[in-house]
Amino acid sequence: MEAWVRFSAQSAAKERVFRAAQYACTLLGYTMQKNGASAELLARIKQLEAHMSLGRKLFRLGNSAEALEAAKRAIHLSDMVLRFCITVAHLNRAMYFACDNILWAGKTGLVPHADQEKWSQRSFRYYLFALIMNLSRDAYEIRLLMEREASGKRPKGTENGHQAQVDNGLQHLALRLRIQLRLLGHVLRSNPPLLLDLVKNACDIFIPLDKLGLYKTSPGFVGLCGLTSSILSILTIVHPWLKLKP
Amino acid sequence: MLPDVYRHLCAFLDVRYRTEDPHSNQSKWRGLHSPAMNMFIRAAQYACMLLGHVLERQAGPGAARAALRQLEASMSSGRKLFRLGNMVHAMVAARQTIQLPDLVPRICLTASNLIRALYFICDTVLWLKSVGLLPHIYKWKWRNWATKCYYYSLLMNLTRDLYEISWLLEQAAEKEKAKENSFPWDTQDQDLICLETERQSQPFLPLLYCTLKKHPPLLLDTTKNLCDLSSPLDRLGIYKTNPGIIGLCGLLSSLVGILTIAKPHLKLK
Repeated sequence: MEAWVRFSAQSAAKERVFRAAQYACTLLGYTMQKNGASAELLARIKQLEAHMSLGRKLFRLGNSAEALEAAKRAIHLSDMVLRFCITVAHLNRAMYFACDNILWAGKTGLVPHADQEKWSQRSFRYYLFALIMNLSRDAYEIRLLMEREASGKRPKGTENGHQAQVDNGLQHLALRLRIQLRLLGHVLRSNPPLLLDLVKNACDIFIPLDKLGLYKTSPGFVGLCGLTSSILSILTIVHPWLKLKP
Repeated sequence: MLPDVYRHLCAFLDVRYRTEDPHSNQSKWRGLHSPAMNMFIRAAQYACMLLGHVLERQAGPGAARAALRQLEASMSSGRKLFRLGNMVHAMVAARQTIQLPDLVPRICLTASNLIRALYFICDTVLWLKSVGLLPHIYKWKWRNWATKCYYYSLLMNLTRDLYEISWLLEQAAEKEKAKENSFPWDTQDQDLICLETERQSQPFLPLLYCTLKKHPPLLLDTTKNLCDLSSPLDRLGIYKTNPGIIGLCGLLSSLVGILTIAKPHLKLK
């Protein structure tokens, strides 16, 4: 019980739990629809999902300022690529939260004439840009680590010996690819925070891609991706060492 | 208009929250954590109630009043969602308060926490009803139980506050008596000047004021509990007021709550 108290006292912990529940409802609704459940049950699940979405929007009202502050902090990073990627990602997140606030104001009647569809599309666009920046950052970190690993292994000379023997072009390419994949696997296995962040962003990206119509999947797949990414972010809250820094 | 309001609100609040990483010496902005955010939204909810009542009194019911009511309902249901795990908090708090050394605070606070856990259970059932997952329960019955639990838990908190106040008054009176009997009069002793002036005229309220002034956490906690009492008193029909008074009291208690979160030394232990 004390663990729950400690967990829920942290910022965004409960919000993540409700995000997981919201996407679980999406997945459940889709599954039940496929299995021919009653319209009343489906309506209830949709109502629960909408309720959780609105509640989460309410508690996210301050997140725009938090994202701007995170962007201000990221500007002081030493690595230029990281600085660019993380700052732009936070700025896009801030814009996403600002659009989210307007959507909330529209849904609660504060701004009754807000075009929900337009602002929803805008918010998903900013969310997509933020995720693309996050994935670029992950790719850059992976490349750096792979280069470090490769340069660390070169003095051993085993790969050089191999490459000297193979002179068939296609086999050479296949071998290089295998080596790169093995290196990638090794880098990701020895850096759980990076792996977690990569999987989380990869899962998350399907949500705006579907909502913007760029890559349509099914509501069930979107629900599954959302649920997976929410569980992974809950994991990073419960085990802070799993959070990718900076 | 809305972006301006939002900007001014952020500037006015000027919120800084403790970082989750105690070793990080980066900026203290870590986002609004749930208890603080809950207090802000609660303050906004009661402000809407107060504003709605004022508008109704001045201009009669209209579109603004309806919009405020809808906003208030939305904030209330959002807060109910985020209260879902809180019965565990109340049980853990009860487990902690049962180990207090003093008998009266131990009984009062443990009882208050246990009753609060019951309140959260009723609250969860009401949420399940509002979301449509338990359509066949009697809303008014559960709401009545929830209000009664909240009311009794506040009474327990107030009993503890009154006990602490009476203990402090006794201490102040004993200290004054001891000083009078043993030492010559020291005009630079602020406590004694305050007490002596009030003792000569024998009124109770200024003595109470002096005591509470020296113990801000107790004053804040008593104020918060008294303000919180207005809503259940009205709902249970014990002391009917109007939504304006309830809104004002709720707003005041939420501001006190925000203060105790922003400055933890002001929280009564």
